[in-house]
Amino acid sequence: MPVLSALRQRMDRYIAARNPVSSGQILLHNRRLYILPTRFGYLYAIMQIVLLLAAINYQNSMAYVLTFLLTALGIISLWQTHKNLLGISVQLNTPKPVFQGEDLILQFTLIHENPIQRYAIGIQYLNAAPEYTRLQPDQTSTISLALPAIRRGLFRPAGVVIFTRYPTGLFHAWSWLKFDVPILIYPKPLYDIKLRESLADPEHSKSTVNTTDGDDFAGLREHRQGESLRHISWKAYAQGRGMLTKTFQGHASPSLWINWSDMTATAQEARLAQMTALVIQANQLSQNYGVNLPGQEIAQHSGSAHFANCLKQISCYNQTAADAELAIE
Amino acid sequence: MNNNQPIHLIAQEVADRTAILTVSFSFMLAMLPHFFHIPLWVTGFTLFALGWRIVQAFGLIREIPRWILVPLVLVGGLSVFAQYWTIVGRDPGLALLTVMTAFKFIESRTLRDILILIFLCYFILATHFLFGQSIPIAIYMLFTVIIITTTLITINQRDNTIPLLPRIRVASRLIALSVPVMLVLFLLVPRIPGPLWGLTKEQRGGITGLSDTMSPGEISDLITSNDVAFRVSFDADIPAQQRLYWRGPVMVRFNGQTWYQLRQERLNGQYQVDKENAVNYTVTLEPHGKKWIFGLDIPIVTPNFSYLSTEFQLTSHKPVNDLQRYSLSSQLNYQIGSQESLEYRLLAEQLPNHNNPQTVALGQQWASQFDSKLDIVNQALKMFREEEYVYTLQPPLLGANASDEFLFNTRRGFCEHYASSFALLMRAAGIPTRIVTGYQGGEINQVGNYLIVRQSDAHAWTEVWLQDRGWVRVDPTAAVSPDRIEKGLDQALNNQFSNFKIGKRHQFLGQLLYNWDNLQHNWNDWILNYDQRKQARFLNQLGLGIRSWGDMVIALVICLVVITGSYWLIAWYRDRPARPPVYEKIIQQLLGKLARKGFIKHPAEHVYEFLERIRLQQHFHDEQLTKIFDAYSRIKYARGYQKEVVIKRFRQMVAEWKAL
Repeated sequence: MPVLSALRQRMDRYIAARNPVSSGQILLHNRRLYILPTRFGYLYAIMQIVLLLAAINYQNSMAYVLTFLLTALGIISLWQTHKNLLGISVQLNTPKPVFQGEDLILQFTLIHENPIQRYAIGIQYLNAAPEYTRLQPDQTSTISLALPAIRRGLFRPAGVVIFTRYPTGLFHAWSWLKFDVPILIYPKPLYDIKLRESLADPEHSKSTVNTTDGDDFAGLREHRQGESLRHISWKAYAQGRGMLTKTFQGHASPSLWINWSDMTATAQEARLAQMTALVIQANQLSQNYGVNLPGQEIAQHSGSAHFANCLKQISCYNQTAADAELAIE
Repeated sequence: MNNNQPIHLIAQEVADRTAILTVSFSFMLAMLPHFFHIPLWVTGFTLFALGWRIVQAFGLIREIPRWILVPLVLVGGLSVFAQYWTIVGRDPGLALLTVMTAFKFIESRTLRDILILIFLCYFILATHFLFGQSIPIAIYMLFTVIIITTTLITINQRDNTIPLLPRIRVASRLIALSVPVMLVLFLLVPRIPGPLWGLTKEQRGGITGLSDTMSPGEISDLITSNDVAFRVSFDADIPAQQRLYWRGPVMVRFNGQTWYQLRQERLNGQYQVDKENAVNYTVTLEPHGKKWIFGLDIPIVTPNFSYLSTEFQLTSHKPVNDLQRYSLSSQLNYQIGSQESLEYRLLAEQLPNHNNPQTVALGQQWASQFDSKLDIVNQALKMFREEEYVYTLQPPLLGANASDEFLFNTRRGFCEHYASSFALLMRAAGIPTRIVTGYQGGEINQVGNYLIVRQSDAHAWTEVWLQDRGWVRVDPTAAVSPDRIEKGLDQALNNQFSNFKIGKRHQFLGQLLYNWDNLQHNWNDWILNYDQRKQARFLNQLGLGIRSWGDMVIALVICLVVITGSYWLIAWYRDRPARPPVYEKIIQQLLGKLARKGFIKHPAEHVYEFLERIRLQQHFHDEQLTKIFDAYSRIKYARGYQKEVVIKRFRQMVAEWKAL
């Protein structure tokens, strides 16, 4: 029905206007919270109408008392359910890029500074199963959703719903959260092509690179998840400077070029998968490498930033529906 | 933003053991008072169903498949029908509800089933009030509502992490917050006079009281009950005990065994009763399911829901199924029925055929012996008084000619024996006589200065019709046992039965019981009797000008807004975030400065992590900044640094800091 869909669009626009996209924290204030009875809330209401009719019919004062007590419980539930969400700040932490086929972890940080307990707060991404958490007084809590990474590319998260039905389940309070956080999914690597010497750049001379396994101490840098704990500077940690990784200067091997045209596969996606595998291997060898995509060249370099950049460019190459919302099915 | 997806169907999750156990416990509590009056097999089946489901929750038995369950449900329904031969009405309805809920228990699998069971528990709670609305039941209800609500919270906590006691605490708090709202709704929601649909007679079962017939043994059964029949507040002094005759059903038809009532006709026209020196009082009558209501002797005006019958029986238009409160004005010195129709007088002289020949012979002998009818009456009373008649609650069983056996043989009887035999004697002597049942006396509760009349005060007496004087009350029991009338039943029957009267007990206990009865009296008056009329009167007394339904709805909305608004305000104040200490404000200023330069600290990031990150990623390094953060850490974490001077220096450092 055209009228309905127009109405629906208007409604969506209105909701979108009231729930602006945010890259940082979203505070759940009154204007962002919505509340409606659940199906059991409606059933509860019907039960009360029946009870009220019975009370009137039997002119039974205590039946009135019970009916009104349950009505009052409903009113108090409405307020308590709303209160269970009100005043929380939610932030979506930028997710670590994952390879296609792995689980993408969306981690949310829930912050509140109220001296109260909040229970059974759920977060749901589209129609995936929700996850629940609780908030201790004045404390921050994190909640993670594991979503299937189906397509490679750079995505925006779709709207996330934070909701609660606590304490009585008669009402469903929720808020739509829209985060401006990049989600990167790399192609699933396809290891059917060897990192051959022929890919090496013959002109390239020796270069140095900072790695965690070299000979000469080169300094400290921020610890990245997944790095061996052996290289953490525990001294710095003890000084309260956080997790820092010791890096060493080593000698890099001959540098490489990973060329689109050198791939053996014919399909675009398979080629990208092969390139992904090669980038991973080159990075593991701590070699200098560059990537050549049609119409795009990434100069030779090494290191984790370069590695991430190469994978990102490969992931985003000729992405269908660029800047799309992340779908999960 | 078209992502309003339905939440993953929570209700279809399989109920876990905690859910089953808590809902079973709630159901047990909700049903407990009913177990005493529902058929035994229903109780048995309910317990079996609960047990079965709990054992199943522990994985010891399998689910019963649906193809077995469906026929069983039918059998259950038919069994209820077989028990009562109907499924309409209070008792069959309750039995059916119980059996079906028990089946729902066996069948329950998902959280949705559990939620439906919780609602059924709430519903079952309401059914208790069809059986009684006393204070203990109300307290029990409140307690059970808290437990059922705890179950609701158990289901909705999503992870079984909240221990039981905090859950009960949360439920108690919810209910405590609900009570003021409930009171406002109770007082201000406009009341509609019921009933909306007809009630079957049986729906009001289980209440004691007088019946519309009288045969030997009926009243003495009633006497053993200490249930309150009604309570009376007098405007002035409470009249003497022997004047307190509470007139109830009048019986004129007699078959030799049992006395029966006539159909009550409204008394048309005036009756001559003096309005001077009338007694004014208010009766709070407990429901007894019958149409008569009680008053002292002859009322001057009748309450608007009742009329006075030709037999001067105060009769309500509808059966008294709810607590009834009415004000009356009675004349204790009266003359009625001097113009009684001949037809009725003849009816009141009728003798059952071939019955009690000895009694009839005695009556006829007196008729020829005495000239005046009054002398005959006195002769009978004299006989009761002077011969060996005993007033007792345990008279011997009597046969077909009950009056003969009683008068000439056993000579032991209770008020109905005396009244019945006396009436028969009088009829045989040609004096129109009828039986009046009701209550006599009552106990004064000094705490609230009102009179408690119990079932144990039930009494039967007679009225004889004398020319020029009309119907005159004659109480043969008074001749046998003056104590019964002057001091009350327990005085008259000293050792025969336990004393119900509070005053006979130990002083302290007695005082306590008087207070308790007074509480019940107020409970009746204010809670159970709160109907449309009471509501109008109460709102009028408030003097806020609340008269129409519209006014009530406005007042209701205002009250609800005030209550919930104050809840909100209190919660807002109590749960507000703690005010950050001064040094946190100062550091926020600094972080603001940094943020304006593009160095943004993430909320979950420690200050040193932040410093290190901007140094590494954004190549920003500042010795002074490190010093400031060191100072901040010291103030925040080290002991003894939260001093005025230190913070002042810290503030200065931040103020002086400028990005290079």
